[in-house]
Amino acid sequence: MTGTSGEPVPLGRAAVPPGVPPSVHRARQRQAAPNGIWGMVLFLCAEITLFGTIIGSYYYLDFNSVHWPQAGIAPEPVAQPSLATAWLVVTLLPIWWANRQAHRGRRESAIEWILFALAVQAGYLAFQIHLYINDFHHFQPQHSAYGSIYYTLMTLDHAHVAFGLALDLVLIVRLATKGLSNYWLIGVRGLAIYWYVVVAITVIVLFVQLTPSL
Amino acid sequence: MATVVTPRGEEYVERLERVWKPRPGLVGWLTTTDHKRIGILYFFTTLLFFGAGGVEALLIRTQLIGPNGHVLSPQAFDEVFTMHGITMIFLFVIPMTTGAFGNYLLPLMIGARDMAFPRMNAVSYWIFLGSGIFMYVGMVTGHAPNAGWFDYVPLASKTYSPSSNIDFYGWGLIFNGISSTAASVNFIVTIFKMRAPGMSLNRMPLFCYAFLAAAFSLLFALPALSCATLFLELDRQLGFHFYDTAHGGNPLLWQNLFWIFGHPEVYIIILPAFGIATSIIPTFTHRRMVFFPLVALSEVLVAFLGFGVWAHHMFAVGFATITTIYFAAVSLIIVIPSAIQLFAWIATILTGKPDFKTPLLFIVGFIVWFIMGGLSGITLAAIPFDQQVTDSYYVVAHFHMVIFGAAVYPILGGMHYWFPKVTGRMYNEAVGKLSFWLTFLGTLLTFFPMHIVGLVGMPRRNYTYPANMGWTGLNFTETIGAYILASGLVLIVLNLFISRFRGEPSQDPFHGDTLEWATTSPPPHYNFAVIPTVTTPYNMYDEKDREHDNVRLDRGEGVLATGHETPATTAQDGALDEVLEMPSYSWWPPIVGLLLACFFAMLLVAHWWIAAGFFVLGLLALFAWHNQEPSDT
Repeated sequence: MTGTSGEPVPLGRAAVPPGVPPSVHRARQRQAAPNGIWGMVLFLCAEITLFGTIIGSYYYLDFNSVHWPQAGIAPEPVAQPSLATAWLVVTLLPIWWANRQAHRGRRESAIEWILFALAVQAGYLAFQIHLYINDFHHFQPQHSAYGSIYYTLMTLDHAHVAFGLALDLVLIVRLATKGLSNYWLIGVRGLAIYWYVVVAITVIVLFVQLTPSL
Repeated sequence: MATVVTPRGEEYVERLERVWKPRPGLVGWLTTTDHKRIGILYFFTTLLFFGAGGVEALLIRTQLIGPNGHVLSPQAFDEVFTMHGITMIFLFVIPMTTGAFGNYLLPLMIGARDMAFPRMNAVSYWIFLGSGIFMYVGMVTGHAPNAGWFDYVPLASKTYSPSSNIDFYGWGLIFNGISSTAASVNFIVTIFKMRAPGMSLNRMPLFCYAFLAAAFSLLFALPALSCATLFLELDRQLGFHFYDTAHGGNPLLWQNLFWIFGHPEVYIIILPAFGIATSIIPTFTHRRMVFFPLVALSEVLVAFLGFGVWAHHMFAVGFATITTIYFAAVSLIIVIPSAIQLFAWIATILTGKPDFKTPLLFIVGFIVWFIMGGLSGITLAAIPFDQQVTDSYYVVAHFHMVIFGAAVYPILGGMHYWFPKVTGRMYNEAVGKLSFWLTFLGTLLTFFPMHIVGLVGMPRRNYTYPANMGWTGLNFTETIGAYILASGLVLIVLNLFISRFRGEPSQDPFHGDTLEWATTSPPPHYNFAVIPTVTTPYNMYDEKDREHDNVRLDRGEGVLATGHETPATTAQDGALDEVLEMPSYSWWPPIVGLLLACFFAMLLVAHWWIAAGFFVLGLLALFAWHNQEPSDT
């Protein structure tokens, strides 16, 4: 698009078609991912590397131990954490759909789908905390290196799910009060990317958690 | 280059002045999100830490000037050499290059008006400041970290280090790492997304390639350090067993994690220095950089290969032969991209018309030390040799040649080169040259004899040595050299300080070739009256572009004066994509920094619930920060 002087007219300055929120029009016209999405992806790269390092440490300790888990710790049951993780994977659908709705300018629908995802994700976290406390009754992190790495990995995994819930809440409040501004439209897309990565990490953590049982 | 501003252009400039006017006084500095002010804050803070690290170095050398020294007790010596390492690496070189030079110059070089995330840029600074104070509180209270900057377990475990010294290290580095992670994200997005329209990746200055490579390295290396120190603190404070062999842990896990971070760290330190060198050399040789694309590729390749060499720090721990051979091979391969850059710098100087002013002298010094440090690095990649000299002064000589000679010299050169840009005044050239020669002589006398004293068997980290070992003369020379070096550094600071007030007014004394010289010195708050036109990698060589900027200013094109605006472009081609509204000030960055400092202080003293309270407050502050959209400020 060019202006009268022949210079390109940047987004945010171009005319907006009637009936389309300016932020949505801007998102549609944008040629490259906005800065906020770049920032989110890069922070998630650091988070993935952190989890990769912890998982690498888990196997480093495993391969250098005669017994893994160390004596006195029974391998994890497979069914319950697997079902819980499957439950979390399902929440990607409402998050993905909320992002689509936001980019179509349907604010209320986006809020409803994030709210739905939040409820399911909160249920997942509550169930995982129940399993965590249950594990704690059987062995503690001070028991052995296995206990130490197991609880560190699970705590951090649950913590980033909890952080995702907080992001859901903030997005819901901001979309409800400020509407689909350019800032918060990018926020919805960032939230979706965050959850895609959190779920992927959680699936990998589940695999690590269950390796002694497989 | 002088900018010719017409009366219409003057109107636009006045409007920009009104829009970008900062808040006055101390509040303005506390709430600033201006990359130049943040760069200046980083500069003075890191300079203070450099002073502290320098005093620690002099204490070490004074202790070792002769046999059986009594200047420091063994305990104090451990604390001083540990804090010296931590300070120079985490509180001086990295924040000075990325924080001070990167923040001030990078947006100017790419024709932007600010970093991609100005508030996050501010919070990086406040967290950095908090983490530095946090670690130095340990020193003031007599509990400074004391197990070396590498902090090997089991020495650093609760059993052998029961006091809180190591906890200052552990929590302090996690705290510091948050700042560096945020800064690296900011640099990467700024470089990819905030370049002036027309600045495609192949027209981007080599300085930016170097900072991009360093930022990527930082982003992917820091999690290993954070993970290692988190495990250490869990072991120490909650009785976990990551590094405890009696319960299935493994002390080598620490060494692996630490050096997975620690070797890329060397390139994180040195890559920005390469970037500074590639800015100074073309300017003072009056020619374009030889092998421009190869140098850019080499900078990126060095950062990438830097992740595959960590175990060469661990040749003495008893790895399988095949493992050590792999790491020795990669350590030799990394010489290739480093040598490409070295040959490019030398070829540019030899084929140009070098003007040996102070900045270029420091770069020539850098090349000398980089060759020496590189050669000793090749010897350390030879496994049997490394096993012989491990933990000797030979290793100390090698890494000081690399870190002081090759990383700090470009910083010193850069301080002189960009001094007129930042202050609008010229430093004293004669004093600058004198300070270079003092520094050069001091470096040679301090660090070269360490190779010999290491080869004849002097171990590092020992607080003293007996008289009959044959090390006395060399140690005496090193200590004299250290004082000469310190006098050179003090002279640099004095020269720049006095020149700040009494130097000749100057706008572009060296005719630099990158965009920061397209604006006034010091730059206005909005950086450029008109977003610059870019059609070549050497933006200032193309006079037509600069003339076109004047025409555009007269027409009001690319002025963007309706708010705190700057363009965002596409990542590869640098095509104009959108105009961004940037925040002008915010109280949230210092508040977040303060809350995080309280959080880590509570972790240090094991008040877990209070720490959790500060963490939640920090999160709330983060959310409150995002409640304020950039256009609201």
